[in-house]
Amino acid sequence: MRELRIHGRGGQGSVTAAELIAFAAFEGGAYAQAFPAFGVERRGAPVQAFVRFSDAKIRLRSQVYEPDYIIVQDPTLIGDVNVFMGMKAGGIAIINTEKPDFDARVPEGVKVYTVDATTIALEELGIPITNTTLMGAFAAATGEIGLEPLKHALQNRFSGSMADKNVRAAERAYNLIGGAA
Amino acid sequence: MALRVGCAAPPGRALDNKTGAWRVFKPVFDPETCSRCGMCAMVCPEGCVRETEEGTFEPDLDYCKGCGICEDVCPKKSIRMEKEEK
Repeated sequence: MRELRIHGRGGQGSVTAAELIAFAAFEGGAYAQAFPAFGVERRGAPVQAFVRFSDAKIRLRSQVYEPDYIIVQDPTLIGDVNVFMGMKAGGIAIINTEKPDFDARVPEGVKVYTVDATTIALEELGIPITNTTLMGAFAAATGEIGLEPLKHALQNRFSGSMADKNVRAAERAYNLIGGAA
Repeated sequence: MALRVGCAAPPGRALDNKTGAWRVFKPVFDPETCSRCGMCAMVCPEGCVRETEEGTFEPDLDYCKGCGICEDVCPKKSIRMEKEEK
């Protein structure tokens, strides 16, 4: 079983991202589970969402305390919340930041990918909502979900031009990380 | 102090909760074209736009969430929302 924790701010779509990643993993033939951390989810407040992937049924229902992967949607969270908490060696962190040399203590053995998802989202969607962009980066960095199931999840969730825009944003991040991974 | 997951905060003043990290765009005020009408300070939901000694206005970026209402109401268009590097 692999676990993902998404750190974001209310309004950035962390909970939606968790749902869509679980949906895409399910499409790919895995068992998956997604849920948010219960608490204040007002706009801008720090929030968390969790996803579990497994080849067998998932009985665990607790929050994720030792994630294999993390997604950080906002670099200013790194100072406020210990985003790397519980991460083990071999873990993968995907961080939305413009500065690849961001200031944080990364646990040993954790591989960090940085994506400037805010800029990609602004260019593709016109709004600074980074969840779908970071999902593309997550797919490329971890291989946990494929690009096709991801596109399908996005088209299932969004309609019309919004679906196309989100697919384009996800694809751009997928190709960006795919080149580096 | 920054709010944590779940927003549980110890008792204190709202001023202790710096909400500036939330924004994506920050307002840039141009005192040259400002007509000193004060609309920006009036509409700011955070109450963080202050009058300067010259009578123009400036935001307190420790609390500005980057909502952009000041830019929207400014009759002189002297407030610009700029993407902040982070």
